[in-house]
Amino acid sequence: MHDKNFMRETLLQGAQAFQAGKMQRRSFLALCGMAGFASASVLAGKAEAAASEIVMWNWGGQSEECHQSAIGAAFTQDTGVPLKFDTSGPLQGKIKEMVDSGNVTADVCDADLFDAVALGKTGHLEALDYSVIDKTKTIDGYALEFGISIILYGYAFMYDTQAYPDGPPTSWADFFDTAKFPGTRSLYKWANGSLEAALMADGVEKDKLYPLDIDRALKKITAIKADTIYWGSGSEAQSMIVNGEVSMGMVWQNRGRSIETETNGRYKLVMNQALAMPGAYIVPKGNPGGADVMKFIATAQSVPAQLDLFACLGMTPTNPEAIAQMAEVDQPYSITSAANMPMIALNDPTWWGENTDAAVNAFLAAIS
Amino acid sequence: MRLPLKSGWLLVLPFLLLVGGLFLGPILNVLWISVTEPAPGFGNYAQLGSSDTLRRILWTTLRVCVMCTAFSVILGYSIAYAMVHATGPAQSRMLGLLLISFWISVLVRTFSWLMLLGRNGVVNSTLDALGIISAPIPFMRNELGVLIGMVHYMVPYAVLPIFAAMQSIDGRVVQASRSLGGSGAQTFWRIYLPMTKPGVVAASLVVFIINLGFYVIPAVLGGGKVLMVAEYISVQVLITLQWGTAAMLAAILLFGVLALMFLMSRFMKLSTVFGGART
Repeated sequence: MHDKNFMRETLLQGAQAFQAGKMQRRSFLALCGMAGFASASVLAGKAEAAASEIVMWNWGGQSEECHQSAIGAAFTQDTGVPLKFDTSGPLQGKIKEMVDSGNVTADVCDADLFDAVALGKTGHLEALDYSVIDKTKTIDGYALEFGISIILYGYAFMYDTQAYPDGPPTSWADFFDTAKFPGTRSLYKWANGSLEAALMADGVEKDKLYPLDIDRALKKITAIKADTIYWGSGSEAQSMIVNGEVSMGMVWQNRGRSIETETNGRYKLVMNQALAMPGAYIVPKGNPGGADVMKFIATAQSVPAQLDLFACLGMTPTNPEAIAQMAEVDQPYSITSAANMPMIALNDPTWWGENTDAAVNAFLAAIS
Repeated sequence: MRLPLKSGWLLVLPFLLLVGGLFLGPILNVLWISVTEPAPGFGNYAQLGSSDTLRRILWTTLRVCVMCTAFSVILGYSIAYAMVHATGPAQSRMLGLLLISFWISVLVRTFSWLMLLGRNGVVNSTLDALGIISAPIPFMRNELGVLIGMVHYMVPYAVLPIFAAMQSIDGRVVQASRSLGGSGAQTFWRIYLPMTKPGVVAASLVVFIINLGFYVIPAVLGGGKVLMVAEYISVQVLITLQWGTAAMLAAILLFGVLALMFLMSRFMKLSTVFGGART
């Protein structure tokens, strides 16, 4: 990756020098030729060297540093294998494309457990080796053939304490009640979490959500459409709240704490009826690093790694032992802590793995 | 010395092959997917008849693109007119400012608009402080927001072809019209505007075609409610894995643009629009 970037920069500088008349046409063309040749050999070299590293495909930014310090460091110490990153975001379509093209460059994806269901079924993933990975070190039902939940994120909402001084909203029913709680809201625009929230607002019990009644959920969602805006990324959700665009906004639960701190408590996170989402590690079929990736996943399950990830990213551990060791002050922000557990709903990855296309497209049709 | 035609073709042959392989290949692949996934046949195209959602998305895209093109070209025309009639240093300064705006990334622009025109943005809070409004004006997170963002991005693209067309006009033609008794308005509508038509058409085509593929601006400034084709294609490729639908929509965009070019070519020589030889 860096070699390629270096080549690109060299070429760009060359092109600028050529344009400014500081470089002769001939030298510039020679540079182009060399760069082409060199990138070809760099790429070839990368393929050969791949077995000696594990490449994690994630979303970059802070999560790259956090995965490196929380899991990568311990894994490299144990195995001598370094952890590298591809930060382009492992969406289902990209994983499918990578595996179909036969040029698999990632070993483990920081994805969703429903991706494991959808892509496992179509043969795009390696089955996990449960002689290396421990099935008991996650939430019940979140260790599947093609993926295991390592952390939990979630969907919850935050509200503006200044907008609702007497009696703040406490449930999704309040969130969807624009008469009692006027103001703009925000929801996630790719259906996930938004459908569950609408159903809970409509009175569905939190443990009887699945299979989701899409039509019922959409009726609730379109009823407040005029007062709703929709976000597509965590940072967008956050900016809608801190810039005062919404009085109540859905967020990825793990970001709630930093938003509270950032706004000096003006915006508060509501954990009641939050939806816990299993973030999962999945392995693309034919991954270059081979079986070593299973050791990496096992390392991620260890208590120190799990606690570090929580401290670094706010993602709740799935290993019961790590949950038990969490500090008192962290408990309210851990989605599966003893206090939160009775209030929250658990996502069903199998339903989403089988119904994402129908749910997302119906949702987009309803909000656009 | 003049090379015979054949060896001239040999010189460009490697590039033709490159274009063929790297450009036509993927396009053909997209067309292929559109008739083979999930099942062979024209099932994906039949969705256009059966799905209200797809028709609505295409209609939103068309509506926003046409409006954006109209506003961009009108604004671009005025700017180009001012630039052509500015002298020496002033003209270079204007051109410089125009080119600088090309370098500002679309994300930066998008978030700047939110800071300016958002609910608690500079404009709304100023108007509120002055007591002119009681509730914030919803400039952003709707179709108006998408239009503002897109027009702002596209104006420089509209200015350049129109500016080039205006520069090539012989000023004496305008003087001749005036000396023959034409009023200012008559001279503009009957002499100046028709002579800049190739520039206007080129600007409209460029702006419209680039607009069709807009993704970030509608996604962010539209607040999720202004769903245009590019974003929908991306969702179908990345999230719902409906590659057949995505490829079909991409093909529709491609055919739409080609049909537009064809229609234009019926009315005027496209080579003059794109600065080719004038005959």
